[in-house]
Amino acid sequence: MQTLGNFKLPPFFNYPPYFTLQPVRDTREKQVQLWKELILDYCKTQKISVIGLEEEFPLFSNPAIESKDLFINLCISAGSLTHEAREAFLAALVSEAGRAEWLDKGHRKCLILWHRIQDWADILLNFVKDNGLEDSVMTVEEIRSGPESRGTDLQGVDRIILMRALKLLEHKGKLAIFKGTSADDEGIKFSR
Amino acid sequence: MRRRPGIGGLQTAAAARDQYRLLGENVAKIRTDLMKEQLATFRSQLEDFARKHKNDIRKNPAFRSQFHEMCAKVGVDPLASNKGFWAELLGIGDFYYEIGVQIVEICLAMRAQNGGLINLQELCSLLRQKRKGLREAVSEDDCLRAISKLKVLGSGFEVISVGKKKLVRSVPTELNKDHNEIIELAQAQGFVTVDELERRLSWTSGRAIDALETLLEEGFAMIDDGHRDGRRRYWFPCVSSISSLGGNDA
Repeated sequence: MQTLGNFKLPPFFNYPPYFTLQPVRDTREKQVQLWKELILDYCKTQKISVIGLEEEFPLFSNPAIESKDLFINLCISAGSLTHEAREAFLAALVSEAGRAEWLDKGHRKCLILWHRIQDWADILLNFVKDNGLEDSVMTVEEIRSGPESRGTDLQGVDRIILMRALKLLEHKGKLAIFKGTSADDEGIKFSR
Repeated sequence: MRRRPGIGGLQTAAAARDQYRLLGENVAKIRTDLMKEQLATFRSQLEDFARKHKNDIRKNPAFRSQFHEMCAKVGVDPLASNKGFWAELLGIGDFYYEIGVQIVEICLAMRAQNGGLINLQELCSLLRQKRKGLREAVSEDDCLRAISKLKVLGSGFEVISVGKKKLVRSVPTELNKDHNEIIELAQAQGFVTVDELERRLSWTSGRAIDALETLLEEGFAMIDDGHRDGRRRYWFPCVSSISSLGGNDA
């Protein structure tokens, strides 16, 4: 089994045609499904929240396939996803409600929600309850990197995602967001 | 015999013919009776044998396969019915029904990946994984027997030979000779190109593309365009399935 750091890659990652978008509908559906699961799984274990389509991303190429072909001196692009394929897989995640969102109109950056925003909001509520934070005030930065969040999914959570979850909770009256002293950090007052 | 003239001569000749015929029938009857007797003896011996080696037949796949061969030679099908002497004695009917059901499950689960065509070896190893912990070992011969029993369902389960390999087809799609040749060629590297088909099989590119397109449509093949030589590779999961690929030796 091939690994990527501590991440175990699925067997299909070694099968070259999975790196070419398949033309036949049934085959492509299966291919897209496998890639969606892989992307979510990988982002979750590696705590990755944003994928840039034009940037290096470990899943988008398989050096094992590449180097094997380099050996017979044929190609350099084997085992690497085309831009079209990357966009297709991410678009499939986006179309699955709440699993991903494009961050720009040009579809160059994609926000991966391995917890849906609603789930992040629930995690936040539990976090408040577990730490007895009702009625207290925290900054957004403290939620992401304070001692209370250490070892939880909230530690180092992407700022965009955290703000989305906070706004959802504000909407429900579970907390209030207000401007803090420094311009780039907001304060959160949790309700009881 | 010299033919004598007159009606007497004709009568004698007819009588002789009748005599010969009767004798012939007698000999044939004696032979058939003898054969029947021998077969009956053989059958009862086979039953004795089966009774004696019950456990070996159940547990040892090689033994089981030879036993089946022996049965076939005397016209006994231990799988014909789940009732009756053989099934009660050996309980192998249930064994094959169970394998049959598991084979159907595996084929269905893998269909999205291979279009409904799977290597017998791979099917067997998946079956063994599925049955891990059960005491009876399962051989390829057992798989083939179970699949042959599946035919009565009319669901198009069939074993086809392509080159040296046996493939199990679980979809009704018929493969023609061209398709078989392509899959056979793909066994070497796992894929073929149009070029290769033109070169190795002396086909026109039209014929090659036509056959490949059909295989693609049926889900038996997948394309791979990521090569600098610009030649599209057609991969066949049924000859080198992803489930059997292990790490870097892929």
